[in-house]
Amino acid sequence: MLKVRRSQPLANPDTVTRMRAYGRDHLRSLLFSLGKLCRQPFATTLTLLMIAVALALPACLYVLLNNLQQITRKWDDAGQITLFLNIDTGENAVTALREQLQNHTEIATVEYISADRALAEFRSRSQIERLLDELQHNPLPPTLVLTPVISAQGVHRLNQLTGELQALAVVDHAQLDMQWLQRLQAITRIVHRAISILGCMLAASVLLVVGNITRLDVESRREEIEVTKLVGATNRFVRRPFLYGGMWYGLLGGIVALFLVLAVLLLIKQPVQSLIGLYNGNAQFILPGIRQSVGLIAASMVLGLLGSWLAVSRYVARIEPT
Amino acid sequence: MIELRNINKRYAGSRKALSCLNLTLETGEMAFLTGPSGAGKSTLLKLIAAIERPTSGQIFINRKGITGIPRRKIPRLRRLMGIVFQDHHLLCDRNVFDNVSLPLQIAGYAKVDIRRRVRAALDKVALLDKERSMPIHLSSGEQQRVGIARAVVNRPAILLADEPTGNLDPDLSAEIMQLFAEFNQVGVTVLVASHDVELISRMRKRIVRLHDGACVGTHDDP
Repeated sequence: MLKVRRSQPLANPDTVTRMRAYGRDHLRSLLFSLGKLCRQPFATTLTLLMIAVALALPACLYVLLNNLQQITRKWDDAGQITLFLNIDTGENAVTALREQLQNHTEIATVEYISADRALAEFRSRSQIERLLDELQHNPLPPTLVLTPVISAQGVHRLNQLTGELQALAVVDHAQLDMQWLQRLQAITRIVHRAISILGCMLAASVLLVVGNITRLDVESRREEIEVTKLVGATNRFVRRPFLYGGMWYGLLGGIVALFLVLAVLLLIKQPVQSLIGLYNGNAQFILPGIRQSVGLIAASMVLGLLGSWLAVSRYVARIEPT
Repeated sequence: MIELRNINKRYAGSRKALSCLNLTLETGEMAFLTGPSGAGKSTLLKLIAAIERPTSGQIFINRKGITGIPRRKIPRLRRLMGIVFQDHHLLCDRNVFDNVSLPLQIAGYAKVDIRRRVRAALDKVALLDKERSMPIHLSSGEQQRVGIARAVVNRPAILLADEPTGNLDPDLSAEIMQLFAEFNQVGVTVLVASHDVELISRMRKRIVRLHDGACVGTHDDP
């Protein structure tokens, strides 16, 4: 019943055949690992949600911050320079200076507040009218309020410009009204950084989730790995389906994360839009664009791949037939 | 083909598994390893397959020393061998065809070659009609034959078997041993570990007896 024919030793496959087989094995691993996820829908769904939530949280915050920055962006060109002139500056000197400043390429508008007008405004706003009446002369200096052109905006350039104006003979004191803006910018930077740090931590959690799942998967396939190694499998061959598995987790998790982000943003869109509308009339609520969406999914895929790599690079090499 | 020189093997925290063992198997030779359990039969096979490494001594396969072989070269070494186990080590979630084709898939053969080779190997062990079956639906004798088909599917130069008939009744055992002898006839170097002295004596091949990790006798049957 058993027959053996005398046969030639099996020739090693040539390079083209091996390359083709290599591609085929990649494809097989790709589909096999996807099939594995589909065969355990409940466990897979839980894992994908875990990944998605971890990624959606910083992504939502980031988009929200981007939207709120539209408000401060409007304020970014609110930097004004106030020139307090010497108290004894005559009308002629003021007019000359106004003309000079109006021709300055970096200054958009010049508003003149004469000493009298300043006093009148001050009087109307303060409760110390009687005290002011008793003054012999107007203690307020003539003032020029300058709005720099947009291109001169930016804290550094404005500081420079203020320094230049301070050097003018008739200027007693040049003041840049930016402190509140600088504070706001500092706060924005802190929030930005906090979101980045949170994002890194949650990205690390994605790495660990996928790494841990891959480790358990490797552990549950110990026997299979031993057998394949016994019949000549390299570590690379054994690792491949697990790496593709991690990639699938990342890819699918990233897609779910994107949907989560969009859902959250749609819920929050109305109130945010009315808030930014109050400050910046023509601002629109910004949804993540194609590039950011693809970026989120790609980042998630890379995290999944890295997570599974962390696990397999450690555990697959350790499993040897005994 | 296989040469072991002054092999010592000591497992951590236990007595010596093999001591001062010398053994040479010529190309195309067939030999049986026998001895009581714990004599070192399995250890010897594991050393040849680079599953274990000797504490001291040297091993040559095809005149190449493999004693200190780097791990990345082990897969290539194992592709020279077919290994058969007592508990056949089949993958239960794949059918017979996929189990047998595994070594060829790993080595990167073309699909058409894989198909042809697997069918030839299954034909040799008379299981051609079972290629779509799952291992769990086969009898233990059939499972063992699937294991053998997988071991020979890439036409290895060396065939190692560790108690391949351990779980089988005498008739099946004889059939399996006969199969190994037939592989030997086409030039494969075969080394079979078995404690079934009665059966292997009938095979009229060289018998190497181990006792407590040492070779206590070898006799060649004509």
